[in-house]
Amino acid sequence: MDGSVGPMRVLVTGGSGLVGRAIERVVKEGEGREGEKWIFLSSKEANLVSAEETRAAFEKHRPTHVIHLAAMVGGLYRNMRQNLDFWRNNVHINDNVLNMSHEFGVVKVVSCLSTCVFPDKTTYPIDETMMHNGAPHDSNYGYAYAKRMIDVHNRALFQQYGRKYTAVIPTNMFGAHDNFNIEDGHVMPGLIHKTYLAKKEGKPLQVWGSGRALRQFIYSLDLARLFVWVLREYDEVEPIILSVGEEDELTVKDAVDAVVEGFGFKGEVIYDTSKSDGQIKKTANNAKLRKYLPDFKFTPFKQAVKETCDWFAANYDSARK
Amino acid sequence: MKPESSQMNGSLGPMRVLVTGGSGLVGRAIERLVKEEGENRKGEEWIFLTSKDANLLSAEETRAAFEKHRPTHVIHLAAMVGGLFRNMRQNLDFWRNNVFINDNVLKAAHEFGALKVVSCLSTCIFPDKTAYPIDETMIHNGPPHESNFGYAYAKRMIDVQNRALFQQYGLRYTAVIPTNVFGPHDNFNIEDGHVLPGLIHKTYLAKKEGKPLQVWGSGRALRQFIYSLDLARLFVWVLREYDEVEPIILSVGEEDEVSIKFAADAVVEALGFRGDVIYDTSKSDGQFKKTASNAKLRKYLPDFKFTPFKQAIQETCDWFVANYDSARK
Repeated sequence: MDGSVGPMRVLVTGGSGLVGRAIERVVKEGEGREGEKWIFLSSKEANLVSAEETRAAFEKHRPTHVIHLAAMVGGLYRNMRQNLDFWRNNVHINDNVLNMSHEFGVVKVVSCLSTCVFPDKTTYPIDETMMHNGAPHDSNYGYAYAKRMIDVHNRALFQQYGRKYTAVIPTNMFGAHDNFNIEDGHVMPGLIHKTYLAKKEGKPLQVWGSGRALRQFIYSLDLARLFVWVLREYDEVEPIILSVGEEDELTVKDAVDAVVEGFGFKGEVIYDTSKSDGQIKKTANNAKLRKYLPDFKFTPFKQAVKETCDWFAANYDSARK
Repeated sequence: MKPESSQMNGSLGPMRVLVTGGSGLVGRAIERLVKEEGENRKGEEWIFLTSKDANLLSAEETRAAFEKHRPTHVIHLAAMVGGLFRNMRQNLDFWRNNVFINDNVLKAAHEFGALKVVSCLSTCIFPDKTAYPIDETMIHNGPPHESNFGYAYAKRMIDVQNRALFQQYGLRYTAVIPTNVFGPHDNFNIEDGHVLPGLIHKTYLAKKEGKPLQVWGSGRALRQFIYSLDLARLFVWVLREYDEVEPIILSVGEEDEVSIKFAADAVVEALGFRGDVIYDTSKSDGQFKKTASNAKLRKYLPDFKFTPFKQAIQETCDWFVANYDSARK
């Protein structure tokens, strides 16, 4: 499994996205090993909603391992409007990838879940055992259930065929190559884009919410390194939360301050408290990760934010937004 | 693609109802009601689809069936089903095949403008760790029992898809949740079947071969049983009258919950079996108790009369004896 009977051929679905690009970079900068082949698949090459196209991609590349990142994703408002599409498309993508992996004898698949699929009514911190313990938040139940069913599928593959396909559960990711769309994007890329525009247009920065909501942020490059570790070394079927610890939980205001500093923004920052904070706190427990990797060092937050802001400013025209 | 009738209860034209899984336990019961007992209203067309007509695992074949029949309504019963032991061995197949069947049917129904689909869930998909009695609001409140999580999640996702279809398109597709169903035309396979048809077949053979009746488990597990003909009547009522997207439990009340031993005794009596009855406690009981509340059903139909249990058992045993050679086993 770890290449001792021959080098891995790793297919990364969703290869052009936030996490895919980060994995591509860490593999090129030293995480890749001799003889390994890493293929970064994008939707241009194969529409994974189609079983036939997925099969063709597997037939062409014949991977021994898969990192499955491809999904239909979106921000709060799009999810709320299109739960059916988020449910169906993601179920089809996931089934196609897991089924083809099984059929083509892929040794291991690592899929990508999210803390946003956890039960809405729950105690904190959340951990890996709690994912199915109740209904997800009403705003994105279509997406949430489709992601949860990856874990169901993995467990069934193990129970029926002994396959050890697994999944990771990141908290809030950010980094280069994100979707920086303000309406549709997530909190960090949205802040970065808004601050960039506020600076450019000489206007105040409007932040939605009070700034007091707490989040654990994980830099895409750190996530990528951990993803590769999971692929090589993590042997459980049960998923693993990949996140900084509870002690590194930050407020949205901390994040705003880091972005403002990252851009050298000198204008006013206004918190629009008429807008929802979302959940005030959704702490995830990274004890399992720390049990395996007690010494893993995350990139310092301000440095990671600065790198992302620099990337965005340098790539504004081509960035997804 | 507008169907001829555009009102749910047929007031603007008769229904054309496609029943998937038409040759199964519930499908045959509905067919009997419609063909022999007057449930069919004037001008209505009821089509009972079997796996011979279309393999619903295939999106193309499902579509072809909808194109051919153009139903205004669908009763969706088709599924990959099995008893405790087959589920435990094949969770992946139970998950995948049922997700495909359900997605194909719901998608085709949506595409072809079916006004209403009534799908079939089960109390066995409810959370394993839960308070009792269970009710319709509790389906998703925790993981299902380990033994059949593949089947259970696939069925639960029918409800998720119904809710999403309503949220995104305003369609009022819904589902029913029966407890343990039994009756003629069941799958009486002993390895693979459910508890009552398994008991009936085993008692029949024990009597024929002059051997003891071996019952798997302690006999103490508790179940609410619903006769297929009663379920069929309620299914048709749901199709015509029940307007919610949230599913509805179709079951006898908690007061009519019985032990497996009680059921075994009823079967023994119905078949006139005089030999020993042995309980093999090395075999699993499955879930010990899964009492369902039928309060919502009783709110809508306070006067609905279920067939008395022993009478229903007698009718089913008589059918099995008379149809032994052709019965599914």
